[in-house]
Amino acid sequence: MIYVIYVFIGISLFFAFAGVVGLLRMPDAFCRMQSSTNISTLGVLGVIIGGILYSAIFLHNAEMAIKLAVMGIFYIVTSPISGHAIAKGAYRHGVKMSRKTVCDQYGEDMEK
Amino acid sequence: MKKATVPAIVSTALVCFIFWLLITGQVASLLRGEPSAQVLIAGVIVSLAAALFSARFFIHEKPFFFANPARLGKLIAYCFCIFPIELIKANVDVARRALSPSLPVNPGIVKVPVEVKGEYAQAMLADSITLTPGTITMETVEEDGQDYYYIHWIDVASQDGAEAGEAIKGTLEKWVRRIWE
Amino acid sequence: MNVFLYCAICFVVLALCLLIRLIKGPSVADRAVAADSIDILSDMALILYALYSGRGIYLDIALITAVLGFVGSTLVAKYLEGKL
Repeated sequence: MIYVIYVFIGISLFFAFAGVVGLLRMPDAFCRMQSSTNISTLGVLGVIIGGILYSAIFLHNAEMAIKLAVMGIFYIVTSPISGHAIAKGAYRHGVKMSRKTVCDQYGEDMEK
Repeated sequence: MKKATVPAIVSTALVCFIFWLLITGQVASLLRGEPSAQVLIAGVIVSLAAALFSARFFIHEKPFFFANPARLGKLIAYCFCIFPIELIKANVDVARRALSPSLPVNPGIVKVPVEVKGEYAQAMLADSITLTPGTITMETVEEDGQDYYYIHWIDVASQDGAEAGEAIKGTLEKWVRRIWE
Repeated sequence: MNVFLYCAICFVVLALCLLIRLIKGPSVADRAVAADSIDILSDMALILYALYSGRGIYLDIALITAVLGFVGSTLVAKYLEGKL
């Protein structure tokens, strides 16, 4: 059973690593936001699920398991809100998009 | 902004009280059969006070929409079966793009028509789109009765609105419309 | 379980790598995103340390930093939009 928990934490480490590499390599601010979503979804959920299993089965501590579940729900509910707010604020503030950008229908419609 | 009704305040207070029970660790005590009356009474008072001031920001339509078991079942099926599959697929795709040596991205902002109606349903669809890596909802607008989202997409496969919408939110939109109909 | 401790150290090292983006980032939005991600990664390290030591008190700290990180990044977004 302990190996299942290790697998969950390993998945979480892999996606957190991919998100960090993406944050360092991507060409502009909006693509970096896409990579940071990688950290805040599966990077979080792996550790949370593994922690719930470990504290329920090995530590026999229901309080810790419930608190971890609350943290998971909180992350899932709040991370899209702050991501959307930062993306919109950055665009309105005038952050440049990279030269690889294919189309920008938002900017075209705002100029009208 | 219209005034809050009594059912709206009651439903907001119920959600606040459940959150209070979870973060004060009272659920574990209830499972053991020894709840503390002081904490429960304080929770009722605090959640009612919080709901009195904040209900008009949260509840604009039917307050007890999810009191119906069929709708609740569909919501649970969406949260635990349909959405995680899309989430894992999108996560693997973005992780592969970030780790591959040539960095295959062609980002862009597309305008996508949306078929779902109502505040809650649109908020739920926009949050689902933002939560899947690779797409971020930037703004929602309404033009002549048709709602549009502006979506930043990391791999623009098509600049046409309908095709892009099908690729971004095909299954998600079908299920969200089924939940909130 | 020592494995948890090693994984927590890995998360902290990943968070330290993000300091490069926090210092170098060309715009405010890059810095805000990097700071938010550092917050989340240090939360993960705290959760793993709570599992390692078996004490629930570290989870409270992680929950509080999660709430504060959300409030902080939303505030930065409001400031960028010019509504503050």
